[in-house]
Amino acid sequence: MAKHTGRGISAIEYPTGMNQNGDPSQAWIKIKPDGRVDVFSGTSDIGNGSKTIQSQIVAETLGVPYDWITYDNSNTDSSPVCTGTFASRATFVAGKAVEKAALSAKEKLLEIAAKELEIAPEDLEVVDGEVIAKGAPQKKIGVPDVAAAATWVHGELITGTGAHLNPYAAIVDPETGRVDSPPHAAISYAACAAEVEVDDETGEVRVEHMWQCFDVGRAINPTLVEGQIQGGALMGLGLAVLESCYPYYPSVEHRGTEFGSYFVPGIEGLPKIDTIIIENPSALGPYGAKGISEMANNPQPPAIASAVFDAVGVWVTELPITPERVLRALEKKDEGPRRDGKWVIFDEDISVNTVAAEGSRFRFPVGA
Amino acid sequence: MKAVGARLPRYDGVAHVTGKSVFVDDVRIPGTLCVKALRSPLHHAGIVSLDTSKAEKMPGVHAVVTHKDVPLNVYGHLSALGIPADEPLLAEDDVRWLGQPIAAVAAEDEDTALAAVEAIKLDLEERPAVFDMRIAGDPDAPQIHHWGNWYPHFEAEMDVRQIRKGDIDAAFDAADVIVSGVYRPAAIEQAPLETQTGLAVPEADGRITVYSCTQALYFSMGVVAAHLQVPLNRLKFVGGTVGGGFGGKVDTAAEAICALLALKGGRPCKWRWTREEEFLCSSTRAAWHIEIADAVTKDGWILGRKTLTLHDAGAYARFSPYGVTKHSFHHTGAYSIPNLHFDGYVVFTNRSPTSAMRGYGVTSVSFATEVHMSRIAKELGIDPFEIRLKNANRIADTSPNGIAYTDPSTVPTIQAIAEAIGHELPAEYRAMTPDPREGDLLPEHLAAQVGEVDH
Repeated sequence: MAKHTGRGISAIEYPTGMNQNGDPSQAWIKIKPDGRVDVFSGTSDIGNGSKTIQSQIVAETLGVPYDWITYDNSNTDSSPVCTGTFASRATFVAGKAVEKAALSAKEKLLEIAAKELEIAPEDLEVVDGEVIAKGAPQKKIGVPDVAAAATWVHGELITGTGAHLNPYAAIVDPETGRVDSPPHAAISYAACAAEVEVDDETGEVRVEHMWQCFDVGRAINPTLVEGQIQGGALMGLGLAVLESCYPYYPSVEHRGTEFGSYFVPGIEGLPKIDTIIIENPSALGPYGAKGISEMANNPQPPAIASAVFDAVGVWVTELPITPERVLRALEKKDEGPRRDGKWVIFDEDISVNTVAAEGSRFRFPVGA
Repeated sequence: MKAVGARLPRYDGVAHVTGKSVFVDDVRIPGTLCVKALRSPLHHAGIVSLDTSKAEKMPGVHAVVTHKDVPLNVYGHLSALGIPADEPLLAEDDVRWLGQPIAAVAAEDEDTALAAVEAIKLDLEERPAVFDMRIAGDPDAPQIHHWGNWYPHFEAEMDVRQIRKGDIDAAFDAADVIVSGVYRPAAIEQAPLETQTGLAVPEADGRITVYSCTQALYFSMGVVAAHLQVPLNRLKFVGGTVGGGFGGKVDTAAEAICALLALKGGRPCKWRWTREEEFLCSSTRAAWHIEIADAVTKDGWILGRKTLTLHDAGAYARFSPYGVTKHSFHHTGAYSIPNLHFDGYVVFTNRSPTSAMRGYGVTSVSFATEVHMSRIAKELGIDPFEIRLKNANRIADTSPNGIAYTDPSTVPTIQAIAEAIGHELPAEYRAMTPDPREGDLLPEHLAAQVGEVDH
């Protein structure tokens, strides 16, 4: 009876945006008479940080300080369509919509500034809240002054609208699944290593350390993207060793009905987490960003399952890897896979081939 | 100062952690009624009779709704994409999961609402239930869904999502070893701090304001407008600040019933699901059953993969067909596997309907394929990093459905992890890049799958 340490790894990919695309986001912007910026977007912030990310994209694109931005996603009367906050799409697709809206507002801003400075708009740029002449930075006017002039002198409203839609990718051949265009906005990548300690007496798996590397395209806000990756790691840990709505699945008995009977990861189970960010920009995303919010909980379960094998020599392929499942696997440790010709057949006891009746629609032929 | 790339504080972070952010349940409108639902006490049953008359007459009860009150009762989450709908907002002839809503009441207070639910007379005829997907396809399995026990409406009215690529039989003939395994990721609850909550307010101008915790304001507004058969300008959705979703608030849970009750009762109606309802009656992540057989060579090339996926949809389809399609598109993971044979089914069972959750469709297949990869490495006696790097997708390699990868980072992310944990890779693996395959890394079996990338 002892505690054993093991390591396992995984490498994954995940798409940005709805599968097959066709998911629009729209935004619009208006600039107040003092130059402060109102952004209207329909993106719900579910804790993913999209209010922050979209505000940063607008500030960067317009060339004004971040704290000049007010972000309103509060209702459908003011805000245009956003397909929603899911499918890792809020930074890329909705972010692209606010970027385009900001570019369009900037065009209008420069038009007014051009009248004030008597310099052509194409010879102007916006830096830190000031419109300056390219190559002659002493010729400038503050964005608040441009906005005031628009309102009180020129009788104009500085606005911009933007929308982004990756066209729907149709399945052109349902027999093969071939599609007529890329069915994603981008693809992100990640790899992970997990180190676990497994108690072969109690069956308990304790995740001690996780190393994670994500290609995020571009970290619009490194703090928030690290938060996604670390929060995702905890959720992945829950998937791997703790959580199930049906503890004796497929039985529907013994469902948890409260946090006291449904176990999510707690701070006491927090492993050491190392996060590495790679920025391999998407050609199409706002400032090169890709979406990584969902995939943040994908690489840990397989890395942890492989680490459990490395520690105690059993593959537990039904999640979560509970103490009971570890102990049952250890009891059968000597059995190993069935070998038939060049086939190596694992997990036959839980296969449809064993459980389903003769004549079932679901079959998966294995063996020579 | 540059805004992009800056570690700026979260826009609403301080408000969240100081309890000042306003979520749906924080909205207080005078005269708001409390909503409670009558839910199915059985996993599968026919509704013989439903009598709400006693509940309707109770003092303090302002409205009771059943399927008869819903202008369009059956409307699917994917209806807007032309996919047939199967799920009623309120059950009509039968119930297919324990907890399925049958009727809802709006009353002055919670006790009255609960008493009114108790007063509804419901007569059910219990039917056999199916919980194990693996027997749902048996010839003598109880029939639990009017479409059959698995979803029949993929493209061209197919009952299976298929991927076919290359020549799978040739790959299995050529293999030195074939490794098969079975992977069963679990159903889990999204477990947001904020349970499903809706508040519908009838306004003076005849519109309805719906305060919603949805992850998708316009999507949910479209669902409610469809059930009520009203144009979008009759509704105003208010939300955008959500107390955790993780996919569980893409489905529209409380809003449509609140709006119906608000219209019928003429008062604001709020439905805040209890924690128990959140765990038992909100959609969960699906459980999956995935069988994989990989044809491999002794030196670690994956020549081909056969996959059977069963997706536990629960009682109704919701987004499950979307989830299985996404799953099929990503079932080779971060690798280039030229010969594929994939069959995926959306299987109905008598459990609460499953739907989106973080990583929808792919979390399951990442688990299956990556554990499988580790098993193959072990079986062949090959380093788990090296077998992954060797098969890693490269620029111009193609996905299961034939799309060329433009910017894959599988190679650098794996190399970074090797370095982080001090796993020394041989020089040839350290030197690998995502650039298009050539030389030893472009063996014959991978030549035909290479596509084209626009630069």
